[in-house]
Amino acid sequence: MKPSSPDNGPVLREHTYDGIQEYDQKLPNWWLFTWYITIVWFIIAWVAYYQLHLGESGPEQVDKALANIKAVQLKELEKLTDDKLWEMSQDPKIVSAGAATFATTCVACHGPDLSAKINGVKLPGQPLNDTEWKHGGRPLQLLAIVRKGAPDVTKGMPPWEPQLGLNRVVEVVSFVLSKHKKGEPVTLTPDSPLRAGAAATATPAAAAPAAAASPAVTPAAVPPAQGK
Amino acid sequence: MKPSTPTLVSLSTIQADGSRKFVHPADVHGSFTTWRRVAALVLLVIYIALPWIQVNGFPAVFLDVQERRFHFFGLTLATQDLWIGFFLVTGLAFGLFYITALFGRIWCGWTCPYTVFLEQVYRRVERWIDGDGTARRQLEDAPWTASKIARRVFKHGVFIVISAAIAHIFLSYFVSIKSLYDMMKQSPMHHTLAFGVVLFLTGALYFSFCWFREQFCVILCPYGRLQSALTDDNSVVIGYDKIRGEPRGKGTVEKPAGDCINCRRCVQVCPTGIDIRNGLQLECIGCAACVDACDDVMVKLKRPKGLVRHDSYKGLQGAKTKFIRPRTVFYTVILFVWIAAFSVAITRISALRASVVRMGGASFYVDNGMIRNQFQLRIINKRNAASTYRIQLVGNVPPSLQIIGVDQTINLPAMGEDQKTIVLTLPQADYKERSKFTIKVTDIARGDTSETRVMEYLGPDPQAAPAAKLNAKDFIH
Repeated sequence: MKPSSPDNGPVLREHTYDGIQEYDQKLPNWWLFTWYITIVWFIIAWVAYYQLHLGESGPEQVDKALANIKAVQLKELEKLTDDKLWEMSQDPKIVSAGAATFATTCVACHGPDLSAKINGVKLPGQPLNDTEWKHGGRPLQLLAIVRKGAPDVTKGMPPWEPQLGLNRVVEVVSFVLSKHKKGEPVTLTPDSPLRAGAAATATPAAAAPAAAASPAVTPAAVPPAQGK
Repeated sequence: MKPSTPTLVSLSTIQADGSRKFVHPADVHGSFTTWRRVAALVLLVIYIALPWIQVNGFPAVFLDVQERRFHFFGLTLATQDLWIGFFLVTGLAFGLFYITALFGRIWCGWTCPYTVFLEQVYRRVERWIDGDGTARRQLEDAPWTASKIARRVFKHGVFIVISAAIAHIFLSYFVSIKSLYDMMKQSPMHHTLAFGVVLFLTGALYFSFCWFREQFCVILCPYGRLQSALTDDNSVVIGYDKIRGEPRGKGTVEKPAGDCINCRRCVQVCPTGIDIRNGLQLECIGCAACVDACDDVMVKLKRPKGLVRHDSYKGLQGAKTKFIRPRTVFYTVILFVWIAAFSVAITRISALRASVVRMGGASFYVDNGMIRNQFQLRIINKRNAASTYRIQLVGNVPPSLQIIGVDQTINLPAMGEDQKTIVLTLPQADYKERSKFTIKVTDIARGDTSETRVMEYLGPDPQAAPAAKLNAKDFIH
């Protein structure tokens, strides 16, 4: 076989495979250049990334970002006190934002007027317009129950922080608090799980910031799931 | 410079040492060139105009990645409708297959954005600044004088400006012209991502159309590489009539010359630098420049046109081109299947979407003789107008089942989305078995409806009498 090109065309290689021969031609230089770039890039990446550990891997970045979010949230939470929440309940902007969230999310169980009744029919939720509370009436206790849900996971309040995020939870609590007055008497319902604990009546405005970080309510005596 | 003849064994745009040989196509005139220019102009106008035309308050084509709403000529799709993109992709791919089987690489020469930008924008600018093919070749070989430097700087300046313009228009498809303009008035630091995209695109376009050019069509483009599998002997491609043309040039007495005078016009005008007389090659983008060039010469010689023409391999051999063949019949059947499937699919896109999930926690609660199931209903108003919706339960549900906690009508603003908690209560006495239902949401004014998937209403097993609770003591004897 001869090269089909008359003017100094490419040379056919000797090697034959299944009757197929190859021309000995150069790759386009630009193509070769892309290969050189990958070699250079590999050396840079290998030295910088794997040997000197400059920069972070993807999982490290994600972990760091998540830890940062958690740290910021914790900081925000530590800033929250009963007094601060009472203060927020006077801020019309926060309260109206909370009212909007309440209207879409909470109204189903707690009723549009917070009475947990609609047209006289009892709704599943606890009434929020009286001074009797099942899981404690201090602002931080309210915040904890909205964030983490009822201690008995089989019934009652689900945790809302995963769905709403901390900001909207704080807004909703501010909205509920706006229907109350600071310093009003707070009592526990007869079925309150807090009753079994040390304090039968929670004292208002005696806030410990740590109470918000971990749910203030601990299931002291969990009633059977379908007990009533 | 001695003109080298393109062969079938080497790329004519790559020299023996691997360096690049730039193609400087000569000017060509003719009906195909004119029509190609008209088609390119129409396509360019469409590309530039679409983001500016407003339909129902949105740009005609607006892929709003930030809000995840996709506007096509007044039709607004949400992320949930993205599956319709399957039909877009298959339709495009299949359309290419079909057209290729019938007419070869017509897409490449006439409508591919790469060719349109390269041939009708960048090469036109180059022609305007540097002159015709011969002048360009001379300028390339000329030493670096002040006038050459000035011309080069000017040309590349214009290239960069055009690349930036194309990149900006491209970005406006995703952010809309108005916000693009707002962004352009601010510092790039405020929009690093958008700015980075434009910068990268400008660089990529400049590199592609200034330097890389036909290498993309010849070596990189996957569609180009698929050609040999998509065409057959009956596909109409651009071909040279060997029977009529050979032998080229001056003939001898025993062997009179064919119609081809070996003037090399077809080689000079080819934007990928091939000789079409070697037959169909993978470099050919079907631009028909050689057809126009050859026809021009044939007219001057008072010989019939069409020595280089659109024809199939069979046709060039003197046989008749068969348009109806298993491949095209199969593609036609597939085409109708695709049209049918797409027509059904497009009607499934509703201007409203309702979806439901059971709320976290237990699947049902029993309180004071009432069973309750809690759901989260999400309603998406895809219309660009405010709407009011009615919520109903559909299915075999006990009449005493009540929706509470949510108004029976819900208002949503234009393009709004809302999530509502829905509580369904049923007296325990009425609970017989699990019942299946869907939640139907109706647009009161317009009548659009959307039904959620089927949900189950759950309760305690009625067989186990709720009064007699299991007591471990009863089982101890």
